Amino acid sequence: MSLIFALSPLIVVTVGALLLMLAEAFSKNKEGLAVGSTMVLTAGGAFAGAVWMKGFEGADVESLAPWLIIDRFSLFFFMLLCLGGALATLLAGGYLPEHRLDRGEFYSLLLFTTLGAMILSAAGDLLTVFLGLETMSLGAYCMTAFRRASVRSAEGALKYFLLGSFAAAIMLYGFALLYGITGTTSLVGISKAMRAGASHGPGAIFALILVLVGLIFKVSGVPFHMWTPDAYEGAPTPATTYMSVAVKSGGFAMMLRVLITAFGDPQSMSWGSGWPPALALVAVLTMTVANLTAGQQESVKRMLAYSSIAHAGYLLVGVVAIMRAHEQATASVLFYLLTYTVSTAGAFGALILCGRRGAEAVSLEDLAGIGKRHPAAALPFALFLLSLAGVPPTAGFFGKWFIFRAAMDSGFYWLTIIAFINSVIGAYYYLRVLVFMYMREPAAGAPVATPMRSGYVSTALLVSAVLVLALGLCPSTSLDVAVQAATGLGG
Amino acid sequence: MSTVANLYFYLCGFIAVCGAMIAVTAANPVRGAMGLLTMILSVAGLFLALHAQFLAAIQLIVYAGAIVVLFLFVIMLLGPSARAPRDQRGSVSRGFFSGLFVLVALVTMYLSARAAVHADPLPMADNDFGGIDAFAKSLFGEALIPFELSSALLMVAVIGAVAVARGEASKVETPAAKRLREARASFETGAAPSTGEAAE
Repeated sequence: MSLIFALSPLIVVTVGALLLMLAEAFSKNKEGLAVGSTMVLTAGGAFAGAVWMKGFEGADVESLAPWLIIDRFSLFFFMLLCLGGALATLLAGGYLPEHRLDRGEFYSLLLFTTLGAMILSAAGDLLTVFLGLETMSLGAYCMTAFRRASVRSAEGALKYFLLGSFAAAIMLYGFALLYGITGTTSLVGISKAMRAGASHGPGAIFALILVLVGLIFKVSGVPFHMWTPDAYEGAPTPATTYMSVAVKSGGFAMMLRVLITAFGDPQSMSWGSGWPPALALVAVLTMTVANLTAGQQESVKRMLAYSSIAHAGYLLVGVVAIMRAHEQATASVLFYLLTYTVSTAGAFGALILCGRRGAEAVSLEDLAGIGKRHPAAALPFALFLLSLAGVPPTAGFFGKWFIFRAAMDSGFYWLTIIAFINSVIGAYYYLRVLVFMYMREPAAGAPVATPMRSGYVSTALLVSAVLVLALGLCPSTSLDVAVQAATGLGG
Repeated sequence: MSTVANLYFYLCGFIAVCGAMIAVTAANPVRGAMGLLTMILSVAGLFLALHAQFLAAIQLIVYAGAIVVLFLFVIMLLGPSARAPRDQRGSVSRGFFSGLFVLVALVTMYLSARAAVHADPLPMADNDFGGIDAFAKSLFGEALIPFELSSALLMVAVIGAVAVARGEASKVETPAAKRLREARASFETGAAPSTGEAAE
């Protein structure tokens, strides 16, 4: 097959984004934009699936080297990112008109941000890694600042922008050191130089530390998580959904690719003198701090922000386990990202559905008693929260199960135990929302939340709910896909 | 390297570091911008020493010519009195940690430079390296894919700027906006009598 076919997911999203931008400029009908963006992203995901099915052996994908790598790993992320983006656009189609934020730039921003994340997941050179990262991050900053009339949004966006630029600069410094040490910017070339002995020098270790700082910042691991709650709370909820779903997946794609390909030599991947112990410490801190803080939040949106930090912690446990069980652990991380995407998009979508213009449901008090008054809005919320908590017939259970098993199989018993204790703590604050929804009555005189009506949001919730149940009841097919994707990522 | 080349390198490097220090520490924003300009000029000088004439010219045109001028415009619009109040909180720890970072970076650079003496040297650059031809060849030849991908980055930046600028601004006045308004008011009232005196 030709190279155009192998690159079709990227091309479809780019062309679709440009066309939608033109359509937005010349048409008065803003309603169609959400449908259009969803279709573009669905098409991007479908093309990625087609390339996956058909195979790309005949295509001359080597000619893209070292800039872009089209393999099953990047195709998996193309599909995942398009799914997350499509769910977020559907939510935006309901949320933005309801809250009078209906400006068409949001969709173009979201599509180009998705393109950046897709470039990031396929990047095979430090240069393209940085380009993809900045495309993705700039879009995310602007989406956070989209509701400029709100001081919270502006504050969160500024914090996110400043800290994000700072982290990118630190990572760029690491890249420059790596180039100085190895003489190449391609990840494969760096790996060769590392195996040839470049990984022993102090410069390589310093470069690794700087790169790790950038990687951990982008997936919001503790201690580089300070921006997350403010940015997630300030952003319009569809943008929050998008950041916690697609931007985080893009960050993990970059982390896996850079750590496994460039720092995959025995020296850098060892427990004694490499990245795994640092990442294990960050994983423990991330899970514990985020879970303990999430339980104290009164705002459900902020609680979900801390919950997304906690999930990054569980994912980091899987990344650490790659050290000893390469394929199994990588596959478990990929599968977890899939389950996390559908559960989180659903949870934010349900939160959107519970509020309406001028009365956005934000705090636990807002949700009090909504289970009795509006069961149709509360039921999906309950399902997604249970999935985030990891309760059996849902997707979240198997996501956690595979990560924990990969960690056990590679001998990290203590890490697994800490992660397990943390997921029990996590269940507390998810169930707390359920208690408020079903067992509390709103205080007398308090404003009562009434759900909005939107076909877009309902569709997104329906799709997520079906996927949450499907992944929870028969995870084997998608796990196979994740295993194949993990095999594609050479160690 | 000859003695003159060495001297030139150390001179440019020293001026660049001094300019960067001024840019970071100066309380007066105009002085900071001038420090930045000094730094940019001496980095252009370093590029010249590396046989990268085109990059040096671009550095002068884009950074010195456009970006520093833009900074000065912004400073002018904000007015001379729009200065951030001195924030002494945490200055000890800030100084300590940035100093520690610089120290670690310097030690690492020294150690890796010493280790690199024995490593294979990088291949020598071509004779036409650094000219417009060679630059264009690598930009539109071997690095065509990242060049094309950078258009997505520029696109997202433009759309993002439009999206943020078109949104309604906050109704609540932040402390910074309040200071800015007061500074403008005092600037205007202070400026009016002085022109009156000049007319007399």
